[in-house]
Amino acid sequence: MKPNMDYPGKALIKMKRYELIIIGAGPAGLSAAIEAAAEGMEVIVFDENQKPGGQLFKQIHKFFGSKQHRARERGFKIGEDLLKKAEDYGVEVKLNSTVIGLFDSKTVSVKIADSIEHYSAYNIIVAAGASEKMIPFPGWTLPGVIGAGAAQTMMNIEGVKPGEDVLMVGSGNVGLVVGYQLIQAGSNLKAVIDASEKIGGYGVHAAKLARTGVPFYTSHTLKELKGETEVEKAIITEVDENWQPISGSEKEIKVDTVCLAVGLSPMSKLLEMAGCQMKSEAGDLIPICDQYSKTSLEGIYAAGDVAGIEEASAAMVEGRIAAASILKELSYLDQAEFEARFSAYKASLEELRQGMFGIGEGSWDYPQKSREGYPLAKTLLKKGYLKAEELKKFPGFIDKKSSEVIPIIECTQNIPCDPCQDICPKDCIKVEGDIVTLPELDENFECSACELCVAACPGQALFLVNHNYSNNYSSVSFPYEFFPLPELGSRGKALDRAGKVVGEAEIIKVNQAKINDKTAVLTMKVKDAIVDQARFFKEGDF
Amino acid sequence: MRIKNHPIIKDFKKEELVEFRFDDQVMQGYSGESIAAALKANGVMIHRYTRKKSEPRGVFCAIGRCTDCVMIVDGRANVRTCVEPLQAGMIVETQYGLSRKGANKNEKI
Ligand SMILES: Cc1cc2nc3c(=O)[nH]c(=O)nc-3n(C[C@H](O)[C@H](O)[C@H](O)COP(=O)(O)OP(=O)(O)OC[C@H]3O[C@@H](n4cnc5c(N)ncnc54)[C@H](O)[C@@H]3O)c2cc1C
Ligand code: SF4
Ligand code: SF4
Ligand code: FES
Repeated sequence: MKPNMDYPGKALIKMKRYELIIIGAGPAGLSAAIEAAAEGMEVIVFDENQKPGGQLFKQIHKFFGSKQHRARERGFKIGEDLLKKAEDYGVEVKLNSTVIGLFDSKTVSVKIADSIEHYSAYNIIVAAGASEKMIPFPGWTLPGVIGAGAAQTMMNIEGVKPGEDVLMVGSGNVGLVVGYQLIQAGSNLKAVIDASEKIGGYGVHAAKLARTGVPFYTSHTLKELKGETEVEKAIITEVDENWQPISGSEKEIKVDTVCLAVGLSPMSKLLEMAGCQMKSEAGDLIPICDQYSKTSLEGIYAAGDVAGIEEASAAMVEGRIAAASILKELSYLDQAEFEARFSAYKASLEELRQGMFGIGEGSWDYPQKSREGYPLAKTLLKKGYLKAEELKKFPGFIDKKSSEVIPIIECTQNIPCDPCQDICPKDCIKVEGDIVTLPELDENFECSACELCVAACPGQALFLVNHNYSNNYSSVSFPYEFFPLPELGSRGKALDRAGKVVGEAEIIKVNQAKINDKTAVLTMKVKDAIVDQARFFKEGDF
Repeated sequence: MRIKNHPIIKDFKKEELVEFRFDDQVMQGYSGESIAAALKANGVMIHRYTRKKSEPRGVFCAIGRCTDCVMIVDGRANVRTCVEPLQAGMIVETQYGLSRKGANKNEKI
């Protein structure tokens, strides 16, 4: 298919030639730019946004991964650091510049304000990321229906609450993370629904919502939205195995905002337009790339979400691989240096891809067991929380009632993550082998109750329990990232993992240490009988 | 609807507080933020009515792709308010079809 515009080479326009053009200033594009510019290559990056950083700048949560992947840092911080580094190396980042054409002559057409400029290069890396999918349903055009990305822009960039009462449609990681951020922004997240019978994202992300009382409706879809000029309520309905609505199962939820997080599709149009060989994956077209991120066309590479939806951590490594390959092609790197870098990047990528969501396993086909052979917790997959009995089967739990503080690791799925092991000064927590292995509590742990692991865990899956706080009372320490922060001495209710009130509680410690990067650690005093249930706190009588 | 206290973001780095007009009301917003954010902070949900069926539309994608949020800004129709920065004294009007209320909605101004 020929693009609907004049082939730029034909026109007698002066065209600036670069060694490398990168399309997209997200984590993939910026990482590629850094890798290339560090060797002295002349690089230009185009991004259609007003701000560089791609998706990272909207991410205010702590990321998974290991130290090497910048784990437990918040997404926007990773973005800021990438940008700073790119600037230090003299990378030219052109914002408000939309690439509208890519040609196999390695030329791009860029729309900047009202004019179109043409640039050419020896090599081009497409790192355009992904766009949100949308599903039409009755009422979906009403004001108040927004994409998950729009909610993030409003609340995390502009500082404006997207809505008061919100329904989240989609329980993948995007829906779970954005749902959590909505609560942080002060909205009421009324429910998370998903047509699939299982929660799509990580259990630990779902558990953060469930313990605050957010209900999950799996096997449910939106039937329709009601409202004259804006959303007033949502009617949801249960669906059978074939995703057909079950009549009579309708429920009404009063909301003013419906947030759609129903998946991402790679923005691969430019690659298709250039004539790259494409393949279909989960209904989307993605470029066929070799292990060096090279497409079927000489000199054109694809890195990050545009080449298949993954995570920022993987996107950064892919960007580096593409740039390293180009460095070798243009003789900036000799074969030996290239191979050393490539094998390190490849190993890092493989490590990231081993989790339950890695390429190959398919995001939606859940394994029944963890890699170690533990059966996956069923209520976690359906309702977003672990049952106390389910937790007891996992290696993060030791059934012990000593007088010491006992860490409890409620992390039961193979996710590529290990800050818990990394941060513990007493080596109580082990993630043996690679980073996907389930964290384990060392049998002979000697926990100093420093609470570092509680705040560092991006999954907020770590708790400290003291069974002998005082006569008849135990204590539970847990992470807290909401506003207002309960004060020392405040009284209220202890909630269990499902967000159900299980008894009275009093806050006996508030830890806001700077090292914990804005995750507070609260300790509450509860009756001995509920210590295995109590995992969250709500202030006041209700 | 502005977020006053956020557990993670201590400062949304806003510029100057300015006045602008939305239809016949005077509103306040911060210069440099998107017009859509300023409207949302003032509780405005409807940005335009469609040409054929006169259905209301508001912000949907917030990244300039869907065109649901277009309005008449300083006399220009079809301005994507989710990516257009607010400036002091701007005149922002609800768009009916391609035009203003009462005008021929099929005729672009
Ligand atoms: C809610 C949410 C939570 C997430 N949480 C995590 C997490 O915890 N850990 C993790 O590792 N990852 C997470 N991710 C995923 C991560 O953000 C993405 O995988 C990553 O940003 C992909 O990087 P990228 O560089 O490929 O694309 P993007 O970050 O999407 O960047 C692409 C850039 O290209 C630009 N662009 C696109 N088309 C053009 C064009 N034609 N011309 C010019 N510029 C163009 C865009 O403006 C954009 O800036 C999350 C994503 C979301 C949405
Ligand atoms: S509280 Fe401190 S010592 Fe105890 S497990 Fe956590 S990090 Fe280790
Ligand atoms: S418990 Fe460890 S592996 Fe699991 S999410 Fe927390 S830090 Fe990561
Ligand atoms: S909300 Fe989609 S273009 Fe503005």
